[in-house]
Amino acid sequence: MEPITRRAALGAALAIPAAAALGDAAGAAGPTEIELFFPVPVQGNLANKMRELIDRFNGGHSDIKVTAVYTGSYDDTNLKTRAAIKAGKPPAAVIMSANFVREYVINEDVDAFDPLIENAGKTPGAFMDKFWPALKPNAVIGRRIYGIPFQNSTPLLYYNVSAFTEAGLDPDHPPATWAAWIAAAKALTKTAGGQTQRWGLMFPATYDYCGWIGSGLTMSNGGQYFNHDYGGEVFYNAPSTLGALSMLDAMVNRLKVIPPGVSDANACTSAFFAGHTAMMVLSTGSLSFVRENMKIPYRVAFMPRNVRNAAPIGGASLILPKGNSPERQAAAWSLISWLTSPEIAGEWSRFTGYFAPRKAAYDLPEMKEYVQQHPDAKVALDQLEYAVPWFDTYNTVAVRKAMEDQVQAILSGKTTPADAVQTAQKNADELLRPYVEETALKRLV
Amino acid sequence: MKAEWRLLGLLAASAAALVWVVPFAWMAVAALRPGVPADIASLTPAGPLGLRNFNEAWQSGSFPLWYLNTVVVCGGILAVQLVTVTAAGYAFARLTFPGRDVLFALFLLQLLLVPPLLIVPNLATLVSLHLYDTLLGIMAPYFASAFGTFLMRQTFRTIPRDYEEAAMLEGATVPALIRHVLVPLARPGLAAFAIISVTAHWNEFLWPLMAVSSPSSQVLTVGLASFASGAEAGSAWGIVAAGTFLAAGPLLLLFLIFQRRFVASFVFSGIK
Repeated sequence: MEPITRRAALGAALAIPAAAALGDAAGAAGPTEIELFFPVPVQGNLANKMRELIDRFNGGHSDIKVTAVYTGSYDDTNLKTRAAIKAGKPPAAVIMSANFVREYVINEDVDAFDPLIENAGKTPGAFMDKFWPALKPNAVIGRRIYGIPFQNSTPLLYYNVSAFTEAGLDPDHPPATWAAWIAAAKALTKTAGGQTQRWGLMFPATYDYCGWIGSGLTMSNGGQYFNHDYGGEVFYNAPSTLGALSMLDAMVNRLKVIPPGVSDANACTSAFFAGHTAMMVLSTGSLSFVRENMKIPYRVAFMPRNVRNAAPIGGASLILPKGNSPERQAAAWSLISWLTSPEIAGEWSRFTGYFAPRKAAYDLPEMKEYVQQHPDAKVALDQLEYAVPWFDTYNTVAVRKAMEDQVQAILSGKTTPADAVQTAQKNADELLRPYVEETALKRLV
Repeated sequence: MKAEWRLLGLLAASAAALVWVVPFAWMAVAALRPGVPADIASLTPAGPLGLRNFNEAWQSGSFPLWYLNTVVVCGGILAVQLVTVTAAGYAFARLTFPGRDVLFALFLLQLLLVPPLLIVPNLATLVSLHLYDTLLGIMAPYFASAFGTFLMRQTFRTIPRDYEEAAMLEGATVPALIRHVLVPLARPGLAAFAIISVTAHWNEFLWPLMAVSSPSSQVLTVGLASFASGAEAGSAWGIVAAGTFLAAGPLLLLFLIFQRRFVASFVFSGIK
């Protein structure tokens, strides 16, 4: 009786390699085939736009055939890239959330761009100087270039002009300081019969966004939030962080000018479009989406400051996963050089709302015209002067979440800022410990 | 008294149905409203209405290809699973061999594993079998189902041994016994498993995203996400709703058509 199941199991096992022969046709001659993993972090037709760009690249490069592979959100892309590298099938290039690059370097899963840049007859330092300086810390790690910035953003304050006028505020002078911001949020909040008709302010506090905006507020409060030069330290219980969280706590739980709980980006834009929130903090990457869908007059402004102006960088860079042949790397370099050229970077920026990481993109006539026509894009560009690096540490996501969980608890009224910063610091230290013990606290004597 | 209880039960069921149907109703309404209306959360279809969202969603991706791939994946997985879970279920229900219960416990233990844990090992296996980036690669890890084996074992155990003994007296071999006696009697179990399997794999996102890269082998869920997900900006709800409708539609339709048969197979199973 036993052989039946065994035979069935064997049959199933045999079926696999037989059918496997159908897949995987490796072409020896012909163009070098590479794939580009890309996430679509903003809404809509970006996936189609990316495929259109890649078709154009393929049309102009007969020796290379690039396949653009859509790989989900930033986190999904990270997961898929990592799994593909581990499984021995690394993609030739990936558009990776810029704050994961450091971890790829720590894990030795990526190659540096320096040799490719030198091969092209340039020096890595001069090459990097073509990009906005704030992008450097997330791209250059240990004096080598591991990421080429492709699409970048900072948080921005979007505000409803009609609501400002109605509340007696001057839309020409949006709040520039926290004090003015809180006062404006109070004036803009409208209640009727115990129900809030219009909130003063909303911002997305889901994972990733929460850490980004939280770090931005801390930096506007004079802080660093994390050690920009070393992946083993965060400053979660520093006064600058505590002050930022206390301000949020007051706005949500005491003044009730921000809705309690955790809103996502969709809830924020929907509320903003409907006039249910007068201000929102959202990525510059949403500029095009908001421009297309907001029917009420609105404008954008810098993130308000307490101690100093600061806005964290967000967005994605191109990386070179380890394990690719020199031919594939050379093909990937052609693609990356093309994608980050001023022309293409500018085109992608105009299509998405992201700012172009390449400074020269803004010298092109079509870009000058675009910035002139869209004052919101100009604000985003001007804020770059105050840009600070994006959160990246060892075990980035988990360490980021250690604080995000606490911020979310504050927004839901479940903890106090004083407790939150202590818990977050303790949990983050625990997560960072393996790396710290291998580096800063390594016993040398 | 009895009538009152019936009424109460009916009310509770209606309430549950209402909760269940609200998201679908909203999806239908939102899909029909082009653009990003300010009252997007509304359940009442306030104009202007139109099919523009469906058109845009359809244009945004290669739906025919995604349908085909998804059907191939779900059908392929189910076809193999029906054979393996029947055989394995029978072995655990009827055969005696050393270590059977330990082996069964190990089988069940697999249900406790979080699937993302196995992504890297499974991918490595796919690469070594040359199945990376193929539809078969999406299917392969699911060919043996712990849940299905468990379900079939339980189903087989509810069937009185008298049937088998009678068949054996007539000279039936074990394969004939399974095919002509046990499988017909276990049809409700198989039907239940088929529903669960097809729904799960139709809706699955993470594994197809990992296992396949070529646009030509993309499935519905991954394709849909390429224009539905927006982390940094908001979404165009109407298009997302229309796309979701297109993705979920066939499954909904299938269950509406076969609803009676599914229910019937549970009720008139012939097993007392």
